[in-house]
Amino acid sequence: MNSAREFDLNMTRRQLFGRSALGLGTATMAQLLGADLLAQTPGNPEGLHHPAKAKRVIYLFMSGGPSQHDMWDYKPKMKEMFGKDLPEHIRDGQRITGMTAGQKNLPVCPSKYEFKKYDNNDQGVWVSELLPHTAKVAKELCVIKSTFTEAINHDPAVTYIQTGSQIPGRPSFGSWLSYGLGRMNDDLPGYVVMHAKTNFGEQSLFSRLWGPGFLPSEHQGVLLRSQGDPVLYLNNPKGVSRTDRRAQLDTLAALNESQHDRFGDPEILARIKQHEMAYRMQTSVPELMDLSNEKESTFKLYGEEARKAGTFAACCLNARRLAERGVRNIQIFHRGWDAHNNLPREHESQCKDIDQACAALITDLKERGMLEDTLVVWGGEFGRTAYCQGKLTEKNYGRDHHPRCFTTWMAGGGVKPGITYGRSDDYGYNIADADGNPIFPQPTKDHWTPGSVHIHDLNATILHLLGIDHRKLTYRYQGRDFRLTDIHGHVIKDLLA
Amino acid sequence: MVLQRTPKAALASMFFITVLHGGEKVDFAREVLPILSDKCFACHGPDTRKAKDLRLDSYEAATRNRKGIRSIDPDNLEDSELIFRIHDEDDPMPPEDDGKPLTEAEKDILTRWVKQGGEYASHWAFVPPIKRSDAPKNEVIDFYIEKGLKAHKPPVSFAEEASRDVLARRAALVLTGLPPEPALLEEFLADKSEKAYEQFVDRLLSSPGYGEHQARYWLDAIRYGDTHGLHLDNKRGIYPYRDWVVRAFNENLPIDDFVTWQLAGDLLPNPTITQKIATGYVRMNPTTSEGGAIPAEFQAKNNFDRTETLGTVMLGMTMSCARCHTHKYDPITHREYFSLLAFFNSTAESPLDGNKYDHGPAMKAPANPKEWEALASLDGHEEEAMESFTTTTLIARELPKPRVTRVLQRGEYHSPIGEALQPDVPAVMGSFPEDAPRNRLGLAQWLTADKHPLVTRVLVNRMWQRIFGYGLVRTPEDFGLQGEQATHPELLDWLAVEFREKGWDLKHILRLMVTSQTFKQSSRFRPDLEDPKNRLYARGPSFRLDAEVIRDIGLWSSGLLDPTMGGEGVKPYQPAGLWKALMHPASNTKDYVRDKGDRLYRRSLYVYWKRTSPHPMMTLFDAPNRESSCVKRSRTSTALQSLALLNETQRIEMARKLAERLVKSSPDDKARLDLLYKLLACRQALPREGKACLALLDTMNSRYAAAPEEAKALLTTGDSPANPDLNPVELAAWTQVIATVLASDIALSLF
Repeated sequence: MNSAREFDLNMTRRQLFGRSALGLGTATMAQLLGADLLAQTPGNPEGLHHPAKAKRVIYLFMSGGPSQHDMWDYKPKMKEMFGKDLPEHIRDGQRITGMTAGQKNLPVCPSKYEFKKYDNNDQGVWVSELLPHTAKVAKELCVIKSTFTEAINHDPAVTYIQTGSQIPGRPSFGSWLSYGLGRMNDDLPGYVVMHAKTNFGEQSLFSRLWGPGFLPSEHQGVLLRSQGDPVLYLNNPKGVSRTDRRAQLDTLAALNESQHDRFGDPEILARIKQHEMAYRMQTSVPELMDLSNEKESTFKLYGEEARKAGTFAACCLNARRLAERGVRNIQIFHRGWDAHNNLPREHESQCKDIDQACAALITDLKERGMLEDTLVVWGGEFGRTAYCQGKLTEKNYGRDHHPRCFTTWMAGGGVKPGITYGRSDDYGYNIADADGNPIFPQPTKDHWTPGSVHIHDLNATILHLLGIDHRKLTYRYQGRDFRLTDIHGHVIKDLLA
Repeated sequence: MVLQRTPKAALASMFFITVLHGGEKVDFAREVLPILSDKCFACHGPDTRKAKDLRLDSYEAATRNRKGIRSIDPDNLEDSELIFRIHDEDDPMPPEDDGKPLTEAEKDILTRWVKQGGEYASHWAFVPPIKRSDAPKNEVIDFYIEKGLKAHKPPVSFAEEASRDVLARRAALVLTGLPPEPALLEEFLADKSEKAYEQFVDRLLSSPGYGEHQARYWLDAIRYGDTHGLHLDNKRGIYPYRDWVVRAFNENLPIDDFVTWQLAGDLLPNPTITQKIATGYVRMNPTTSEGGAIPAEFQAKNNFDRTETLGTVMLGMTMSCARCHTHKYDPITHREYFSLLAFFNSTAESPLDGNKYDHGPAMKAPANPKEWEALASLDGHEEEAMESFTTTTLIARELPKPRVTRVLQRGEYHSPIGEALQPDVPAVMGSFPEDAPRNRLGLAQWLTADKHPLVTRVLVNRMWQRIFGYGLVRTPEDFGLQGEQATHPELLDWLAVEFREKGWDLKHILRLMVTSQTFKQSSRFRPDLEDPKNRLYARGPSFRLDAEVIRDIGLWSSGLLDPTMGGEGVKPYQPAGLWKALMHPASNTKDYVRDKGDRLYRRSLYVYWKRTSPHPMMTLFDAPNRESSCVKRSRTSTALQSLALLNETQRIEMARKLAERLVKSSPDDKARLDLLYKLLACRQALPREGKACLALLDTMNSRYAAAPEEAKALLTTGDSPANPDLNPVELAAWTQVIATVLASDIALSLF
């Protein structure tokens, strides 16, 4: 190994990025040092730019747009307006998707579900009967009722919240974290993605949501699957034992060392290391997936569904097991929240999928003393409309996509527990001030409207909790220093513990 | 002795110059402009909003008298405000909270530049390339590379030439994406004549695999996919375009025509069917038909994508900044972005694809080599040929009346402002040709005009990158102010001009590159140099091969490779449920129905490209997803690659078919091993390699002899049946050895 490279590898991550602030762009440094460096550097639990409150993040992504009206944003006044047209001043020119643009009217659609107020550490939080378990951990939750975005259709909106841009091509949220924080565990991938089963799969997911964009492709999320090999190609083919594989890898190392002696390319040595990690993964992943050592109480907590591979509950249990093993970047995608026509039937099923498991995950992390440095994030790409799509009855209704105001929650990892943040108007339609008047935030680089949380603000805040300044985690591509938050985003200090 | 200088005198004269001119003469384009661009232009660049604000992107602006203060004061250079402010400790420029302070070296350069007069010059990439007068008649590549080697301190020379077997493998891999056929290799190694290597190269350039391999790079750049890319990500009828690209490279279609047909084949007088198929380029952007999508929004987004892809692929320019505001670094205005976009704004297709395969305009097109031949024999125009074609491809067509294009404020589709724009090109890249039509054809004429400063440079740079692993400009996607400068600018320019002068002849340029001494050097890392990224080119190229090449080598060496060219994308083995886990139930790509028979073994170029979930054997080895343009793939080493190499179904199948080939070739294990290395490394196994492999073979032989059912189990991996006449224990043992060698660097890397 040449001396320059040795020096590079001996640099700690902090030195690396610290030095970059003194003149060289972060990206330039990372690129100069070679792609393998970041993967080889042990993750820095201290944080990249400032001490991290959260060492890891578990992101529960509800794809399709969960209805804030039926879960979190209690609006009793809407009952009086049942079926009447949404007032013009509330809609205030909000563009409407092609699906309801043709409707003659936009009838106000109150939630059919009962809400109850649960104690938290502040004024209490209203939660609907669809989430009885989650409600019980209200004291841990930081419920944001004023999240917003600009995109109104799934593909652009989910791409926006997960990559910072509505048009494909940028690195995903998880890839940015992988790039910025590296890995803490040498036997497991640093960034793991799971797809939970649903009864309503009417959404598409895209590999770009955990894809590396223009970052080196080692930062792509690794799928932990419930079908076939849990990690792609993990298992040896039929007729190949672990002893065989060991013999193969020893031979492989000898062949590569011979090649290295002849050509001197350090990349060859890097590949030898990766073969060894793969070998370790062949035991660490099955150990991870083996639930036989879990106590009965675990399944009581998460529910019997957690025994069935691929359920949201099983994914949450896996998430806790991954977190225990030092995986710092875990995402679960749960589809089926796009309730245009039969919201009650669909959301009841969806909430049943997630409710107990969400509460269990938080309780479990807390009991293990991990909640304080594990950030749990729950939310979708947008919310749903206050007006009905299709036929409105007391029992059944549908809701279209609504970007302007929706609910997201976070827990653990340095967020204020047991609060709600932001509020909406009487129709759950616009972000509102303390008196309930719509405020129409127009964030810019320098201006943020208190009480509002744009998706860029949400991402900036999550990065902040993980010890990353969202303005400084950059990668130069096409001459520009790109960021997850583009040129936007404000850390919402009110959410920090 | 007049030329001999004493150290004393030299020192004195240096001092003298320093005092008089503020130090060594600064090269504005090379030294100053990158600093201004990176550290100053974000606030004082082309997009500065108010007229009274300071701009530093031109001499006129920098010397303007602003309330008695001049950033550069031509009357009193030493007192220029710029020098004062960059050294101001209390209130420095750039401001401290900006996070991009100037280094001492940068301050020194700026100071010297201002003291020397503060003169501006154009960014190199906006000045048309010329051949410098010092260029020799022949071996120009080596001349300029050697110039760099000699300028290095201490001077170095070329590395020794690689052995002929290494060279044969290297040339075959960079030109065709496969090792040389054994017969061709033998012929070359036996031919000791002077012309042997050149003839070998010509044979490679005329093999069908050449076009297949070169096409891949273009398909990455223009983001080719077999699906629409967004939401349902349904199938798209476009593969005849891909097959046309392969044919165009194999026929060595001049690249100016190659570009023109793609951008504007439909607008040529009396266009041929082939020219219309080529316009699939214009239709390559991802599209959606998500329920509720607003057509005007996607009319805008589709055009952003086309404009920005053109920027990356042809101009080496990042256009996306200028979508929302005037570019912060490069002199491209917000208005110019939309003037360029206007060329694409009048195509006839609906902005939403209807989730349809033949989202029109589309036309019938050849589905296989036979139909292509039929088309060729009819001279390309015959409508009757079209009737017999059995597939459809998307093409471009112009609306009879162009759409109005306006600037979109902040790039928002619902905020058009100002007057209707005429299609036009960014002024800094040369003017639009007089008499050229203001449509895509005119755009193509501008791109391929003799004086265009960028296009030929950008294209030859990527050719260099294919051959040498890195571009002469290391940021092939950005030739702008923020991009890197060429390691060998004179060479880049010479190649660009040579390319144009020789009729945009791709094969000519590639031939020059692979026959250069620069290319032929040993790729061994030099102990006498610290140059891990080979910026000096003091050794031959070496890099990990692309995903497609890694797979193709395995198929080819095992004899499984089906040489059939073209047609609908093929679906080799893929773990079950990968697509279903992502896709909407209404998507027609939710089920991956894998192929059977020969289609499992086609070259990887033809693997079905579903943009929202490309084949994992591609993406695990750094292939892009083709949702956006990619002109430089990353090259990573990961544990997941290791698992894939040793466990994936097709890898095992390749290994066991290659085992059959070896076992049948000779009864002698050493001879078998030599054949293996001949195929993969173009040489016999070295003693060290032989020892390691044969030891593993021994281990595996005894292991499978003790458990023959395990051997049989291994031999059932993959569809192709095991040869029943061969001993399964022996086959299984060899399968394990081969799988190992196929996962080793010898089969993964160019060296």
